[in-house]
Amino acid sequence: MRLIGWFLLMFISLQVAAVEVVVNRGVAGTSLAQASARAFFGLRLTKWPDGRPVQVFVLPDGHPTHAALCKEQLNLYPYQLRQAWDRLVYSGLAQAPIEVASEEEMISRVATTPGALGYVRKVKQNDPVKILYVE
Amino acid sequence: MLNKAALFLVYGLALSLSTAEAVELGQGVQAHGFLSQSLVHTSDNRLGGRSDDGMAADMREIGGNLSWRPSADWLLSGQALVRWAGESDAGDVRLDYGFVDRTLLTSSASSLGVRVGKIKNPYGFFNTTRDVAKTRPGIIMPQSVYMDRVRNFFLAAPGIGFYGNHENANGNLAWQISALRPEVNDPDLTYFMLGTLARGHFEGKDSWLGQAMFESEGGRWRAGLSLGEMAMKYHRGAGDPFAAGQSRVPTWVVSLEHNTEHWSLTTEYAQNSGHSRGYNIPIVEQDNVTEAWYAQLTRRFGEGWQGFLRYDAFFADKNDRAGSLFSPSYMRFAKDWSVGVRRDVGRWAWSGEWHHVDGTAWLSPTDTPIGVSVRKWDMLLLQGAWYF
Repeated sequence: MRLIGWFLLMFISLQVAAVEVVVNRGVAGTSLAQASARAFFGLRLTKWPDGRPVQVFVLPDGHPTHAALCKEQLNLYPYQLRQAWDRLVYSGLAQAPIEVASEEEMISRVATTPGALGYVRKVKQNDPVKILYVE
Repeated sequence: MLNKAALFLVYGLALSLSTAEAVELGQGVQAHGFLSQSLVHTSDNRLGGRSDDGMAADMREIGGNLSWRPSADWLLSGQALVRWAGESDAGDVRLDYGFVDRTLLTSSASSLGVRVGKIKNPYGFFNTTRDVAKTRPGIIMPQSVYMDRVRNFFLAAPGIGFYGNHENANGNLAWQISALRPEVNDPDLTYFMLGTLARGHFEGKDSWLGQAMFESEGGRWRAGLSLGEMAMKYHRGAGDPFAAGQSRVPTWVVSLEHNTEHWSLTTEYAQNSGHSRGYNIPIVEQDNVTEAWYAQLTRRFGEGWQGFLRYDAFFADKNDRAGSLFSPSYMRFAKDWSVGVRRDVGRWAWSGEWHHVDGTAWLSPTDTPIGVSVRKWDMLLLQGAWYF
């Protein structure tokens, strides 16, 4: 019985992504195509479909939640995102994402910045942000 | 005018650094900067100073940029750069780029826009950030494709460029096409085109450059084609044996990269054709095609460590790879094996690499006059770089 419980638990944890993409509550929609998520985090698209600017917030490159976003939601590696940002930022073609130090800061910045896009390991019930499901 | 803009950028950056380390400077304004210092030792020949007498320390870069996004569709960007490289770059402050970017159309999967001003030229994978140490594939660029002797040919130029980006489930396609006037008033470039006897200088003429870059699955595969034609005219100097001629240089680069978690394989192949007319010296008016390629294998070990192995080959005439029509023949080619290691720690990158080179084609004759050059030589480079 305990064994079945274990398997059930593992199955559930495999189904739930270890990171959730969040946006400011003013952003329309409930889901995002993976290609669009890559384009927003890769700084190639800078506007939401309604025309409002996207402001990307990120955790430091070495943060486990950042690695989880890259691998599980975007299907790429953190170094690839960093190289893409550097190519754009040091040739003037885009502005860098804003780096926050912690997931608490991520929630508060995304909640208070119009058009904000970020990610956390798990959104808590009272967090004033909206989850976007990456498809 | 351009130098004033560069000085303005330097002051703006100094101000931003004195107030905070953060790159956010208020509503829509960002600052970034970088610096690097290299040490070079060569067995023979010179690079970045008197490298054959010991450790030369005349290779360094300092740069900083400011950008302002006043609204979703507008972006203003500028970067100042100071660069030292032995005898061929002396540390003048210059405007690396400075332009206005206007997004013209966007949809959920595409964007289209225009940039006006001094724009970095899209040429291969690395040209637009070739002076930012942390973005280079090694301490020095693969010299075959990104030869520092002729860097001003491709570096950045005033002009206008249209660009687009298209996303779909398989990947994204980014393209750019620019009309520009290359900044070619540079003694190293004059030397490369016409040799030691030239007394005048070049001026850029109407040229164009385009690039299309496809990335699959966020960059697992990256494939690009850069294509263009650079044009310039020659202004004679006093006692110049050359007449006021004109040159056209059609150019193309094919780029291919494969990325996995721990490995990257990067390779590029380029050809530049030279068509020169009106100099009244038959040898420089012969059409000529250069050939350049490299392949680099990079391994990421974790904890910020990475290492690479690269083979890099340049031939000044693809129909005479051995340089048999010239003396010494080895000034017409360079075949370079290199191996390097790098450690990234916070905002710092520390690198070391070793090169074994057969040939001197990409050495600047202002550092290494042909008369004292040696065919086979070794080089050790060490570099510290900081960025924010």
